[in-house]
Amino acid sequence: MKLIEALEIVGKKYSADAETLRVSLVCGFTPLHFQTFLAAELRLVLPKQHVKIATGLYGDFWGNLKKTDGSSLDLGIVVMEWSDLDPRLGLRNLGGWAPGDFPDIIANIKLHASQFLTSIDRIAREIPIVVCFPTLPLPPISFSPSGEANTIELELSVCVSQLSLDVSRISNVRVVNAQALDRLSSLSDRFDVKSELISGFPYKLSYSSTLARLVTTLVQSPSPKKGLITDLDDTLWSGILGEVGSAGVSWDLANRSHMHGAYQRLLHALSESGVLIAAASKNEERFVEEALQRPDLVLPRNVLFPIEAHWQPKSESVTRILKTWNIGADATVFIDDSAMELAEVKASHPEVECILFPKNDPQAIYDLLQRLRDLFGKSTISEEDRIRRESIRSSSIHSDANGGYGSVPSDFLAQVEAKVTFTCSKDPLDPRALELVNKTNQFNLNGKRQNEVEWQRYLKGPDTILMITAYQDKYGPLGKIAVLTGRMKDKAFFLDTWVMSCRAFGRHIEYRCIEKLFNLTNASTIIFDFEPTEKNGPLCDFLGELLGVTPTGGCVLSKEQFEKKQAVVFQQVLETSHG
Amino acid sequence: MDEIQPRLVRCFAAVFPNLSGDQIAVASADTVSAWDSVASVTLFAMIEEEFELEIDIEDLGELLAFDKILAYLNTMTARTVKGHSFDSWVQ
Repeated sequence: MKLIEALEIVGKKYSADAETLRVSLVCGFTPLHFQTFLAAELRLVLPKQHVKIATGLYGDFWGNLKKTDGSSLDLGIVVMEWSDLDPRLGLRNLGGWAPGDFPDIIANIKLHASQFLTSIDRIAREIPIVVCFPTLPLPPISFSPSGEANTIELELSVCVSQLSLDVSRISNVRVVNAQALDRLSSLSDRFDVKSELISGFPYKLSYSSTLARLVTTLVQSPSPKKGLITDLDDTLWSGILGEVGSAGVSWDLANRSHMHGAYQRLLHALSESGVLIAAASKNEERFVEEALQRPDLVLPRNVLFPIEAHWQPKSESVTRILKTWNIGADATVFIDDSAMELAEVKASHPEVECILFPKNDPQAIYDLLQRLRDLFGKSTISEEDRIRRESIRSSSIHSDANGGYGSVPSDFLAQVEAKVTFTCSKDPLDPRALELVNKTNQFNLNGKRQNEVEWQRYLKGPDTILMITAYQDKYGPLGKIAVLTGRMKDKAFFLDTWVMSCRAFGRHIEYRCIEKLFNLTNASTIIFDFEPTEKNGPLCDFLGELLGVTPTGGCVLSKEQFEKKQAVVFQQVLETSHG
Repeated sequence: MDEIQPRLVRCFAAVFPNLSGDQIAVASADTVSAWDSVASVTLFAMIEEEFELEIDIEDLGELLAFDKILAYLNTMTARTVKGHSFDSWVQ
């Protein structure tokens, strides 16, 4: 983005109903164009927010950090440079670069490090923070030639790396990935000496824009994809199964097919972080099973679920896989080495991201692995991520019992030994709650999505209640599957958010949630902030069942009404914790 | 060459959004109250980026009015064009 474009974006008028997003930009340099680019990038990703960026004094990074009060803000962005750690590491200060000064510089940095950790920890209790550690090249302080690593530079690097590691472990903090920045901008394209001297702004314009964009992706990261459907021949492995047999396909260095093995390794890693992996292949099923039994397969056989191996169109395979997973097409990636197969799937499922597997180009396959990391990237791996695959398998057992939402027979439910857990704590905030809110479509009260900043601001309200429901039965845990939020006013509970994972459908958990809500709040009525969407039919049907009429908007349910309609529930309430 | 003026007007409009087209044509640091040091730095950074040139630090103090910047850009662009032509003859 050019500076003129950034200023034009920032200069556009906000709509009257735009909510203010209060951002603190903590840095020691004059924020100038970085502030402009940041404001523009934030505006692009948060168009409904009126972005207001507060900055501090020039040259007073530590004072600015100390003064940052999370309670009056929505977001913190901290951009540190070498001169903030010690002014002698900047250009505008003429302090010593003599070898005798090095121990004092290192000591100074270590002193600041603990102060930094304390401040970030304090602020992160209130608001999300993005932290960027020094990204400019070090000034020529070292006595050794620039090609040779010097102890002072290495020690500085260790100090900052240790600090980055410590900060990244603080909840609610995201640290800018230096390697990602290196891919976008070379070190020599960052420092603007003239600008630093004239105005105290150290970044070149193009670098300011790049850094602002990267920081913004940490503020508002796109929703990660949930499922990957892969082809087998010339994709998961090299070779055509029908031609060379299960012993003839390969994924190793000896057969010059190693990148297929690397692809399998990545799929395994993605699976371990909660991504669903399925296969869609035009093949004889028995050949596929034979190949998947090979002990040298990098991707364990059980990771693939389901496997569609037959000669029907792949679009039909994708339809069945999506039904089994019960996720949206827009959360799915399909990978195949055939452009024709990709086009055929895309025609039936335009929302699926279809990617060509570049089978004869190792560099392109390597780039694909990086792209897949980004598409499925998430900040943390939750317990739900770990159990997702098995939970889908167990859900398919429930579904097979009498397919579809709301129709699992009572005698089946009675024998599954179900247990539900309700948790009403807001501190610490469980990131799974927001994840569920933002990815659930079918059982969703109003389809409203929230970013992390809005979510935390909403939950800060002293009257706001957050209830998270977890479920398990003898087939295994489903993990945290439902989230409800709302506020009490007089004797009414205003339910603002209610989402439940589609994996939990048909177990009458929704009745348990409402029952718990009445008991927890002692409310006489619940007022649902219901809004019909294209996809929230299941929740609409449930409310219709309780109210006796299909709702078209906000609706009210009394405790008496609920008790008359309450379904038989089979779950045991395992525990309830309150925060 | 003909494009210089409207592109410069666009730069001024981005930095001084409250000025009309007519006001931009006669704008100077003395007459525009919003033209402070931050506006100057932003304006010159933007001009450097937009016209792909580097303004000499020594020249900055003289470039405190729209017409002076326009004249400076006309001169600099003419030099660049001439230089390019010469380079192409050499090749």
